[in-house]
Amino acid sequence: MKQKMRIKPWLYSLPALILIAVVLVFPIGYTAYISFTNMNLYHWNDYHLIGFANYARALFKLDAGFLSALLTTIIWTVLNMAIQLTAGFFLALALNARGLRLKRIYKTALMIPWAVPAYLSILLWRVGMFNTEFGILNKLLVLLGFEKVDFLANNTIAFCSCMVLNLWMALPFMISTIDGALQSVDRNLYESATLDGAGFWSQIWRITVPAIKPIIAPAAVMTTFITFKQFDIIYLLTQQRGYMTGATLNTVITYAHQNAFASNNYGLSSAVSVLLFLLIIAFSMVTNRSLKEESA
Amino acid sequence: MKKAIALILALVLVLSLGACAPKQQQDNPQQTGDQAKPVAVKIWHDGDENIMNTIAEQVNAKLADEKITVEFEKKTDMASQLRLYGNDPVNAPDMYFYAHDVLGSFVTMDLLAPLTDLVDASLWKDHLPMTVQAGQIGGTQYLLPVYFETLILLYNKNLWKGEIPGTTEELYAYMKENTDAAAGTYALVNQHTNAYNVSPFVNGFGGFIINADGKPGFNDPKTIAAAEYNRKFGALQADGDYNTVTTLFNEGKAAGIIGGPWLVSGIEAAGISYGVASLSDIKLPNGNGLAPFSGVQGVGVLKTALKDKKDAVAKVLTAMAAPEVGVALAKKSGCAPANNLSYNDAEVSANPIISAIQKTAATAQPMPNIPEMGSMWGPAEAMFTAINKNGVDPAKAGADAQAAAEQAIADMH
Repeated sequence: MKQKMRIKPWLYSLPALILIAVVLVFPIGYTAYISFTNMNLYHWNDYHLIGFANYARALFKLDAGFLSALLTTIIWTVLNMAIQLTAGFFLALALNARGLRLKRIYKTALMIPWAVPAYLSILLWRVGMFNTEFGILNKLLVLLGFEKVDFLANNTIAFCSCMVLNLWMALPFMISTIDGALQSVDRNLYESATLDGAGFWSQIWRITVPAIKPIIAPAAVMTTFITFKQFDIIYLLTQQRGYMTGATLNTVITYAHQNAFASNNYGLSSAVSVLLFLLIIAFSMVTNRSLKEESA
Repeated sequence: MKKAIALILALVLVLSLGACAPKQQQDNPQQTGDQAKPVAVKIWHDGDENIMNTIAEQVNAKLADEKITVEFEKKTDMASQLRLYGNDPVNAPDMYFYAHDVLGSFVTMDLLAPLTDLVDASLWKDHLPMTVQAGQIGGTQYLLPVYFETLILLYNKNLWKGEIPGTTEELYAYMKENTDAAAGTYALVNQHTNAYNVSPFVNGFGGFIINADGKPGFNDPKTIAAAEYNRKFGALQADGDYNTVTTLFNEGKAAGIIGGPWLVSGIEAAGISYGVASLSDIKLPNGNGLAPFSGVQGVGVLKTALKDKKDAVAKVLTAMAAPEVGVALAKKSGCAPANNLSYNDAEVSANPIISAIQKTAATAQPMPNIPEMGSMWGPAEAMFTAINKNGVDPAKAGADAQAAAEQAIADMH
């Protein structure tokens, strides 16, 4: 009977496990296998195992360029997360202000950037906002009597432009999460605090923030990963073939793409992918541990 | 009840997984010598639908009695997809239609059948030699050329003042005189950081992107001199990405554009009265005419098609090589036919765009088709972007691009 009880749950979840194995585990395992072979243009059909040679080359690729890309990625992630959390928090707070009319309309409007497919948003911003000839920003600058500005021309200005677009795309998620969390805070706490003489900031710091922290934490961790492995904004705004803007900005993912995936060497690019996969897993374990310690 | 529901759900799951299984090859008729059975030949492409429809109409009409039809299927980033699926008999197409510059990588991967395995070499005896050579790797013909293209200068007859200058220096003087970047009006626009569009300067100066031995030429003094010379033109040519320059021309904000026949349908739709000039008529300071790359568009045969459809594919190749296909393409889409006999048609030989392309072809250089070429576009564009947009010293940008190109080639092995 006991034996049966042990097998039964596995049997029930077997179809789901098979599906996960096929859709998730197999591609990762196959990529890992390819990373140990010499599969490339010249050995497309007759590839064979070559041990860790691709890893040695991939690690060699983690040179100065990679380190500077890693630094850019860290600055990118930290800045984006800090601004997203702060701006998201205050915007959500404003949306919950007492007596605010047409709340639902504002909330729906703020969701629009999230509803537009990322690829479209990025191309719209590249042409409609940042373009030197047709972008709204440059049209405004010229109307005001200033010179045209190429918003993607060099690393500093391109970094800021990419960040503005990332915030535009990512804020709706943060606002809706914080908005949801704010609904769960007991209103009585604020009334008691007001009676005790607590001001606006002290109420936020001592009641709101501690109350919503456990709800926001998973969303923040998720967004951190999405921001860390950001590829499409930087690639499509500044590096797409035929549209290079002059910025040489790279995150670890765009750097890996530029260095490994353009060469059709599938063994080498798989090794780089596996290393990035391990890097992100390590990052996730550290973050999860710090979250657990905090809640303990 | 619960058990019944569980059973039904399990059944649905199994069935849906079964639906994911690869389709049996029922649409690949087993050829048993019975030619009466209809055969569909699948061709992948990544080009203009109108051009492919024209080819399909011509070929299908010719092969209607044989019950052979060609079906064009558009694939985004076709070259990458063909590399992935090219030797998979279930998913691979029978043929593909694309420019010749990716040929080397396909042949290296052993995806393609030599055309002489299917048809006699006399099939392309009337084709222009430049187009035939572009379809060869190591002397073996893998691509049947259908039409070719080069860059030309298109100008707005209502905006361009006077004649098209005969030298690049006069052209530069004209551009300086007639460009007002602040007002957003330009004399001549070009994708001045794109390697394909900078090639008229690079080849004209005697430089090269990559030579036949697979050696990149970004640090070659002539390539660097060409890139430096291109910079002053770039400074007067707006941002230089495809959408910006074509919109500027189509909205009447640029009087001229360097581009190809693929721009013509958009220009005509914008209602612009345009003229055409050959780039080879514009001489560089060294006396050479501007010498753009030429691209040869044609059709290749996947090895996987030989087993079941060898005869049908051979007939498609023969039909596609006919001069009438070139004539139809020239009349409908302004393509320059690869078959010399197509030019016997008066309307084709009188077409100004085709004449300009033909004339330019005299100095144009076919894009290299070695496997390494695919990895050169990135470093080349990075070099011209660094020089034109970031003010990097051309020699340094050339050295950086050379290092990146050599690394990219090393990474291929």
